[in-house]
Amino acid sequence: MRTLQAAEVGDGALPDMGAVEVARRRVIVRDCARRSIRRRRLTGRTMQVICLIAVPIGVAPLVALVVATVSKGAGALSIGFLVHAPTPEGVPGGGISTAIIGSGEIVAYAVAMAVPLGLFVALFLFERPGPIASSIRFAADVMSGVPSIIIGIFAYAVYVEQFHRFSNVAAGFALGVLMLPIMIRANEEAMRTVSVDLWEAGISLGARRSRVARSVVLRGALPGVVTGNLLALARAVGETAPLLFTVASPTLAMTLLIFNDATQPFPDAQQTAWGTALVLLGLVLILSVAARTLAWTLNRKTR
Amino acid sequence: MNDPINSSPPSPVTGSVVPGEGGDGPAGLRPWHKRRRLPSSPLYAIVRWGAAGLFAALVIGLLVSIVSQSSQAFAHSGLSFLWSGTWNPDAGEYAGGTLVVGTVITTSVAMVIVVPIGLGISVSLSELTPRWLAAPLSTSIEFLAAVPSIVVGLWALLVLSPLFATDVEPVLERLPVLDWFFHGPAYGPSILLASVVLAIMTLPTVVALSRTALGGVPLADREAAMALGATHWQVVRRTVLPGARSGIAAAVTLAIGRALGESIAVALVIGNRPAIPHSLLAPGATLGSAIVNQFAEASPGLGTSAVIALAGTLLLLTILVNVAGQLLVRRRGGRRLLGVGGAVV
Repeated sequence: MRTLQAAEVGDGALPDMGAVEVARRRVIVRDCARRSIRRRRLTGRTMQVICLIAVPIGVAPLVALVVATVSKGAGALSIGFLVHAPTPEGVPGGGISTAIIGSGEIVAYAVAMAVPLGLFVALFLFERPGPIASSIRFAADVMSGVPSIIIGIFAYAVYVEQFHRFSNVAAGFALGVLMLPIMIRANEEAMRTVSVDLWEAGISLGARRSRVARSVVLRGALPGVVTGNLLALARAVGETAPLLFTVASPTLAMTLLIFNDATQPFPDAQQTAWGTALVLLGLVLILSVAARTLAWTLNRKTR
Repeated sequence: MNDPINSSPPSPVTGSVVPGEGGDGPAGLRPWHKRRRLPSSPLYAIVRWGAAGLFAALVIGLLVSIVSQSSQAFAHSGLSFLWSGTWNPDAGEYAGGTLVVGTVITTSVAMVIVVPIGLGISVSLSELTPRWLAAPLSTSIEFLAAVPSIVVGLWALLVLSPLFATDVEPVLERLPVLDWFFHGPAYGPSILLASVVLAIMTLPTVVALSRTALGGVPLADREAAMALGATHWQVVRRTVLPGARSGIAAAVTLAIGRALGESIAVALVIGNRPAIPHSLLAPGATLGSAIVNQFAEASPGLGTSAVIALAGTLLLLTILVNVAGQLLVRRRGGRRLLGVGGAVV
């Protein structure tokens, strides 16, 4: 979890109090002078209550969502559900093994593409500050805001249309493109925590850039890199839109299976959708928890 | 990192001159600009530059392929594809106007819901609630940011939608003043439901980011306000919120970007009717939901090109929002903004 630096959000340091800060303080003083303390306290209490009311309103649907997924999905879950292939509608005993394997394969392609590329681009940004690096950083920022469905269409245009077939490779490519900007930015943020002095010390010892990158930069940035990449992975695992136009059949990816079964009127299909959703939710939560605990342990070890 | 290229031992420094890469001649005889270069293996430079170049190529390739593939549709409907006309492939009408309207409406309604609630939660967690309550609550809300959109969509379709049809929408219709927004039959799937789903999906992001921004306001600022005689709420209202505004703006921009681009969950609950909606209870369609529904059945040629043109329109919309957000934050004295969100969720 990255925290915003005070300088990024605040209006500036105290010694050089800008006009804005002066005006703001004037407003406070005027407020205090004009209105009685009783009235100010009353407004404060009212606004505080309004803010506190927002907590249950906002948290309730999120809790309801998780509770519904767990309670409805648990009914579908069994060992057979995980290891059997899907059966046609009406035939009992189907599972989601093909979807789990397919999703695993897609994610493996995506990781194979995005993790090394993300590391090297981040190293590039770290070692070569300048106009090229800033434009690449800008491109990464823009890319991380591109909707996933557009990346799906890009993968379709690049792969499916060229080779005239749907493929997990195309889906992996799409997820890789989706993860890449997130990974680059997270890796770079992590590398920024490594002090430039250390890098310079390594270089001055006569080590090559590659050696310093491996032994100093990556070593110091490891907790952040691991966290960032795992979080990006957690996000990619749950994506549906990039797979929509790239995977051959909805039974070959978990998210597509949910999308497909959710819209079917059969209770069996909906049950499968809930079960798959629970598996997916568990997977994503494990990845997120792993990201944070790993960062925590690695942080302690490297210190 | 187990990298065969980099496994050569660090070269020793000989004399006062740093040895360059390769072995072509003694370092002292090289021209000055080469002499000053840091030791590096050429392979590592190639890999680094190659990775950067590859990423740049991906970004440019994405833009080029979307633009080139949608050119046929733009040639057919003109640039007004972006803001007028409707989507009716059966009648040969390919234009994104109604879908843009649908996208803007759902996103706006979602923001109307999520911004006050999200800010209220962030202020509560950061300023009002005791630590033993705030810490676990904010951690779990941050975890919920990782819930896949398809899971939210599934829940919204199978649980929330029937609830809306029987309980929520009939009640809204009976409200006295707001019936201009809420009228017509209650189906369940509707623009309102899609907006609520978008609000639920973006809430964790808004809370996580704006809470971080609120927490980043320096203690000295709060103490200064208190010293001036401000009440607790006045400190929050006059010092903490203004101090965190660029972070909050970043959070909202990121949420708008997510809401505009969300396609799958919206496609499940919006009812998919590309027309200018007369009420929030009516079914509608957004750019994302239309792409999801139309791409598979689009006729080759113009049909496919038109769907890709919808994607191009969506891309334009999200880039506009992001750039506007960047400018807003920069003018207000904040620094970078987009990377902040990418790093957190």
